[in-house]
Amino acid sequence: MSALAVRAEGVSKAFGSVRALDGLSLEIPAGQIYGLLGPNGSGKTTLIRSLLGLVEPDSGTVSIHGRTGYMTQQAALYDDLSVEENVRFFAEVYGASGADVDEAMSVVELFDRRRSVVRELSGGMRQRCSLACALVHHPEVLLLDEPTVGVDPQLRVQFWEHFRRLAASGTTIVVSSHVMDEAERTERLGLIRLGKLIAEGTADELRRQAGTERLEDAFLKLSEAPA
Amino acid sequence: MSLRRTLAVSRRLLEQFRRDRRTLALLFVVPLVILALLGYLLRGSATAPKLALVGDCGPLHPSAAVTVVHLDRAAADSQLASGEIAGFVLCQLPPEVHLEGSQPNESATVLQALASPSAVKPRIFYLYGGPSFDTLDYFGAGFVGLVVFFLVYVVTSVAFLRERSSGTLERLLASPLRRGEIVVGYMLAFTAVALVQSAVVLLFSLYALRITIEGNVGVVFLFEALLALSAVNAGILLSGFARTEFQAVQFIPLVIVPQMLLSGIVFPIATEPGPLQPISNVLPLTYGVYGLRDVMIKGAGLGSSGVLLDLGVVAAFAVALVAAAGATLRRRIA
Repeated sequence: MSALAVRAEGVSKAFGSVRALDGLSLEIPAGQIYGLLGPNGSGKTTLIRSLLGLVEPDSGTVSIHGRTGYMTQQAALYDDLSVEENVRFFAEVYGASGADVDEAMSVVELFDRRRSVVRELSGGMRQRCSLACALVHHPEVLLLDEPTVGVDPQLRVQFWEHFRRLAASGTTIVVSSHVMDEAERTERLGLIRLGKLIAEGTADELRRQAGTERLEDAFLKLSEAPA
Repeated sequence: MSLRRTLAVSRRLLEQFRRDRRTLALLFVVPLVILALLGYLLRGSATAPKLALVGDCGPLHPSAAVTVVHLDRAAADSQLASGEIAGFVLCQLPPEVHLEGSQPNESATVLQALASPSAVKPRIFYLYGGPSFDTLDYFGAGFVGLVVFFLVYVVTSVAFLRERSSGTLERLLASPLRRGEIVVGYMLAFTAVALVQSAVVLLFSLYALRITIEGNVGVVFLFEALLALSAVNAGILLSGFARTEFQAVQFIPLVIVPQMLLSGIVFPIATEPGPLQPISNVLPLTYGVYGLRDVMIKGAGLGSSGVLLDLGVVAAFAVALVAAAGATLRRRIA
């Protein structure tokens, strides 16, 4: 078992009367692709934000080992700048080099479109540009909040191929999703509901645990069990 | 505090400016249009109100401030009712002046034109200004400050809010960028743009409008630079209290109108009703306007204690706003 990259212990966070996270604990070893699976509003985004220090938990502790990269749910980019200017800005902020900028744009296959203004790009290209900004500095832990929303199936396959390459080279990837077939691609899954981790394991393990054929049914069944 | 990261923020903002033609036009063309319009309004030959004489008025010669026409009584009555003439004089003993009366400044012009000139002509001496010194010279000093403050404030507050609403601020805060670096990065970029704007406005005022600048142009520029710095940080500070760009626009009347009315640009503070004067005294623009007037109209320089005080107060406002913008940024994010 390799070293821990991400650790959350008893993390709770409430926004007003809404308990976004409710005593959630979680450990992710370095180099793993870990999927956070849960319906909208289950606390996935709040968990990612608290791991990054963007949200101060009411109680509990979080720790991340290594440089982080973060891709937000909607492609958060400067619409009036070109692909290259966006990626270069994040490179400068993180202290990455010009070669890193070219590499990141090549990885997401936007090198030929590097002079295009982001506003004029398609939704899928924007997501790719956003991913390039998140990994330009070779982060050790990459946190991706629903990175493939609005991405066509072909591009989704490419994204996942790339995630696996990154993981193979030692990058830890935490990816949230509410799409079941995507969850199948992760090495380990955490099912999140109402701010709690209700089950954890590989997709096969979860199916076996619930005694169902499909992951979707497993999720529904495990959700009903008392947490 | 990393200079590299701070400058990365400034550089990115300047790149965005380069591509944003509308904002550039707002910053560099709009102030010139406003000032040109103001200049034309105040300096262009005004249309003189019409005054009718009814009957034989003999030695009565109204001054050139009014256009004189001759009418009979019935025509004078109907034209007065329709607003074509500002008033008429019924030449009889004693003569009667009938005024339209709904516009006090026209009535005043008519009455002044009828006042008999004094027999003794005094010689006139000016401490400041001179016979050619006019309303535009007076208002120009204040307006230069207002225009710079207003436009820089608007552009900064909207830009900073866009950073937030587009989700990029969230991304920046997850990066090694510190909050202070973001604020200073914004400040550097917008101040640089504001300084260019100030220079353009100043050159336009000097060479196109020929507004009198008695004092040192460098000191005038210093005032404008400090006002711009205050405006940048007021923009960053207040954009935090707005959730959308629309709300940020709603702050404009709140920030700008009181300063326009109360900073002494139009109504001198000394003649304001008592309760308003303390408000005027805490507005940054007030000190900017008075400082600019002292330098531009009275020719005061850095040796004048009044100018130094005004400069100091505007600088203090700028520093306080920088600190406040940095300090409140943290609380607004979560």
